Amino acid sequence: MDLLPSSLSPWSSFLLSRCSVIIVLMLPKVHGEPWLTLKCFAADSIHKNPNRSSINGGNRRTSQPPTTDPHQTPQTPFQSGVIADPNPDNTRSSKPGIKRLIMISTVLFSFILGLPFLLKSIEIYRSPLPFRDIELLGDRFESSPRRLPCKFQAVFLGFEGGSSGGFSDVEKLGFVILDEMRELSRNNGKCGGCDLNYTVSVTAESEAGCVTNQGSSMPSLWQCGSFSELDDRLKEDDESVDEWLDSMLGKYNGDLADGGKMYTVVVMSRDEEARIVVGKHRHAWIRGNFGEKDAVDKVANIFVKYFMNGGKEDGLVKGEFMPVGADGRIVLSFSLLNADPQHWIYNWNFERIEEVKLFPIIKVLASVANISVESQVLYHTPKSSFSYWDEKLSSFIFSTKDLPFFVNSNEWHLDTSIAAGGRSKVLQFVVYIPSAEECPLLLQLPNGEISSTNGFISPMWGGVVVWNPSDCSKNSKNEHPISHTLSSQDLQKVFEVFTGQLRQLFGLKSSNQYDWQPGISRFLGSESGFTEWELDALLRQHTCFNLISCASTLGSLSRLVQSLPRMIIMDEIGKQVMLSLQAANLAENNASLGIYEASTVSSRQARALAEDAFFHPSIMSISYYSFEHCFAIYTPFFLPVLLHVVLAAVKEWKRYKKEQAKYLAGKSKAKAE
Amino acid sequence: MGIIQPVMIVALVVLGCFNLCYGGEEFSEELLLRPLPDRKVLAHFHFESTTPPTKDYGHHHHLFPKAIYQLVHKFRIRELELSFTQGRWNYERWGGYDPISSSNAKPPGVELWAIFDVPLDQQSSGSIRYGALPREAVCTENLTPWLKLLPCRDKSGLASILDRPAIYRAFYHSQRLRITSNEFGSEGIEPGIDLEQTLTIVVQPDDQRTSTSYSSGKMLQPDWSISSIFGRKISGTCVLARSSSVFFELESTLVSELNKLGVDNAASDGDQVYPGVELSVAPDQVIKERKSSSVLFEFSVKKHDYKPLDIGVKWKYPIVWSCVQAPFQANRFLMGSGNERGSIAISLKATDHQRIIVGDEFRDKCEMRVVIFQVVPWYVKIYFHTVQVFLDGRLEHTPAVIEKIQVSPSEDRVSPGVMEIALRLPCSTVSAVITVNFDKGFLHIDEYPPDANQGYDIPSAVVRFPDIQASTYYLGDNSSRNSPILSKFQENNPVLSYTEVLLVPLATPDFSMPYNVITITCTLLEKLLSSPDFVQVVQQVERKITGAI
Repeated sequence: MDLLPSSLSPWSSFLLSRCSVIIVLMLPKVHGEPWLTLKCFAADSIHKNPNRSSINGGNRRTSQPPTTDPHQTPQTPFQSGVIADPNPDNTRSSKPGIKRLIMISTVLFSFILGLPFLLKSIEIYRSPLPFRDIELLGDRFESSPRRLPCKFQAVFLGFEGGSSGGFSDVEKLGFVILDEMRELSRNNGKCGGCDLNYTVSVTAESEAGCVTNQGSSMPSLWQCGSFSELDDRLKEDDESVDEWLDSMLGKYNGDLADGGKMYTVVVMSRDEEARIVVGKHRHAWIRGNFGEKDAVDKVANIFVKYFMNGGKEDGLVKGEFMPVGADGRIVLSFSLLNADPQHWIYNWNFERIEEVKLFPIIKVLASVANISVESQVLYHTPKSSFSYWDEKLSSFIFSTKDLPFFVNSNEWHLDTSIAAGGRSKVLQFVVYIPSAEECPLLLQLPNGEISSTNGFISPMWGGVVVWNPSDCSKNSKNEHPISHTLSSQDLQKVFEVFTGQLRQLFGLKSSNQYDWQPGISRFLGSESGFTEWELDALLRQHTCFNLISCASTLGSLSRLVQSLPRMIIMDEIGKQVMLSLQAANLAENNASLGIYEASTVSSRQARALAEDAFFHPSIMSISYYSFEHCFAIYTPFFLPVLLHVVLAAVKEWKRYKKEQAKYLAGKSKAKAE
Repeated sequence: MGIIQPVMIVALVVLGCFNLCYGGEEFSEELLLRPLPDRKVLAHFHFESTTPPTKDYGHHHHLFPKAIYQLVHKFRIRELELSFTQGRWNYERWGGYDPISSSNAKPPGVELWAIFDVPLDQQSSGSIRYGALPREAVCTENLTPWLKLLPCRDKSGLASILDRPAIYRAFYHSQRLRITSNEFGSEGIEPGIDLEQTLTIVVQPDDQRTSTSYSSGKMLQPDWSISSIFGRKISGTCVLARSSSVFFELESTLVSELNKLGVDNAASDGDQVYPGVELSVAPDQVIKERKSSSVLFEFSVKKHDYKPLDIGVKWKYPIVWSCVQAPFQANRFLMGSGNERGSIAISLKATDHQRIIVGDEFRDKCEMRVVIFQVVPWYVKIYFHTVQVFLDGRLEHTPAVIEKIQVSPSEDRVSPGVMEIALRLPCSTVSAVITVNFDKGFLHIDEYPPDANQGYDIPSAVVRFPDIQASTYYLGDNSSRNSPILSKFQENNPVLSYTEVLLVPLATPDFSMPYNVITITCTLLEKLLSSPDFVQVVQQVERKITGAI
């Protein structure tokens, strides 16, 4: 209950405006008469003289002569003046006095003059927010969000000049690939993919020579003459080819950071079975005997589908649902659930697996989010869905339609992290060990098959993996179950599934499912679980979404602040908004320069600061000094006082006009006479 | 012996870990039952989780609650105790000179104190914090998160008998959580983090028998069992617990009464453990206290796994005894009237047991140290210079009695006032009263809590007797187990008691007043300035001026 936010200032202004009234009323004192006696006198004259009104009336309504009471004697000189008026009709000889008019208008004006002071004094503190900048930022991202630039390079090796697009055709080839890519990436979402004015550089090398197209602004990274070296490499395995390509082409991304990342597809014309390999860096290579059209199609497809979109499939996980907290942090919370410890107790060596499996992931995702890891083992945690015994599989089956009920939020106390109270995103990864009554427990897919991972994800929540002990028979003799430790091979398998689930939560495909992609022979996997081109796509996507989210949060804040004109806005909020805008601008600049990591980090900061400003505790509090409140406090005084003053002024003005008319009439009469 | 004992304990820990050992993390559950003189029963649950230090063990745990571990590390906690209590411990009847009453009897409401491991450069602000919320209501919503910290929660083990209605119907219940960590410092004996969770309840068992009054007017103690108190039987252990036992304790005063009975009624049945007392389940072990005659009956839940354990007690003869009390019984009350000032008086009354503790022969020479710790909210402005001590009704010269006084004056709206007085009283003192005057402060309109007319609670004062220790030694020489509850009892706990919560009435405004004041003043001002005469005044002014001319 905050009746008077600045308890003194409204009253001081109130006093100020009142003082002006008093000063005006004191004016007669200058003329030698104390105000108080005047007041008493006035009261006297009202109460003691019942005929006062008629006397006064005589002043105006001369039709009623002041002779009703024969005993009455003139009381004031003013009255005698009236009586002395020789013309008892609607004329007067003297000019009407303007003292009364001046006096009452002074009172009125002092009120009006005091009004700005009053408003100033009851003003509440609002830190100035850059509404204009926020609006501009919002408009900019609304129409076309900033996308990070990409560069593409196609290298055609061993194509004969005559048969398929000779050296003179490299320019044409470049345009054809570009057109094809535009066509493919047309229905990309707001944040999917690269900046639209990307270029494709085409290099063709054969025995006849080495040509690069002039259409693109960037230099070709392909060192002419390396064809034969690559040829040697190709005899080895795919990994070594990938590394060799990276050693030659990867320099670009390390040394020259301007203009974004460079993606390369090497096409080799050979008389052998077609083979397409996508490496773990930013390269792919195609071997085989294709025509030009076929090769261009394949190159454009790899560029758009994998290098640009990160192999994502639309509709799997919507990009808007980023599994990153508003403060740019993710807490990976791993829980091992023993459904019934009376049957068996399993334990894990989490430290070991954390080092092996999780640290590489945390490292590569560092620019996307600040990730921390925690673990716990919980007991007495049955699932809440049903499973049934399948004789054929000799196991318990739960189907995909039961999944919404699998997580038992009453018994699974997963929310024990202190991060749960903040704005960090907590992703739960649960290993569920069924009790002897439901062992082994298998997940049946909608097509009737048994899931190979035996796990599932829930977008924005996390993932669950059911792990069945190798021996499901419960040792009934042993009252006190022996504690087992999950073997490192088992744990490795479980964490591979978790890595896939994490990829899915980020909108990528779970790694081992790429194999059935049409037309691609092989994807090389990275140790961390995320390949470089996938990470690039994630960075592009997150930068874009962070900036959109920042702009929309700031926009909401600015709309809220503008819609509540009497809400207090602390300096801290202003500061946070400024910093958020700065970070957003920095992210945009970095994005236009093609510096991926820095722009993602800045965009994350911008989003976190915008959220901080929006969820500032002072905004959350509902007590703000509303205008109604202010009105309720000042009305009891100002409304009646002003009413009377205004009425008096109006009345006085009317009287003056009337008297003036009389005077003018008298004057013209006198003139006529 | 002193060397052999720790070695034995270590050996036993290793043996105890034989089937369930989590590389150093341990959990144990215990329950202590004790009859009280006023026909009530005390049930004290004790759960303890320990974990080795992070630098040896890492930060991933299998048993130790993650929330507590993260809390300890976030705030660098060295020690923390949080208690939620409903009802007041009756020191007179339930005792004040044993480990349970001095470490588990807590003030009503919530009490929290913590010692932090602050870096040296921040040491000036102090590393200890104390806070109390005397009016906080305690309910199941406080119990559920407390249970979540147990690895088995209330799904199995001793906690499974925690029937909510039975707990909240109790005369007194106090759930407590205590963290001791040595994660940051090097000193200390036990490295790692230790989480002790206790639940102490005092219940009145339903008396199935019509309470037959004996000729002497003595009442028979009610017969009870675990199932009659909680409505459930103990159906097994928490499989994760290293030890799981139930204790039944007979106090020394009760044992001596029972022994007297035994002399009177020589003919005793075979299955009763003590004359007049019959247990429904044979105890696995009977432990005698080393110093006094207290007896502890131990029931191992693991041994009773095949059928539910339901320990019951039957009383044969009416028996009257009283618990050992602290040397002084502390009470606190308010003096003075009106909304301006008053004074707080803390009275210490010598109990009968003072004689027992101190001994008659030393009464004249000896001195007893009493430390009173009191926290007052800032709106009760204590005048520390007005501390007066009355011994047996006579006003004493303060420096003669007060050994030490430590005050930290309150700061308006920032910090409460803290006062700690160490008194040195002659043992012959029958009553001591400490008074201190205070002024009642005024609150800002938005600082009043809902229902402000009820008054303001002043947290309980803590009265501590640093010279005397409440400890019981059940872990004898031939101890064959390592029981956390018994080793807790063996620690040197200074005798503590809490006084009542005080309710101070403060001047409470009529909350619609500000608007009334505004309306009234504005109306008056308006009357003064713009009465219908206003116009008249203006006219008369002119009239007068004209007249003057």
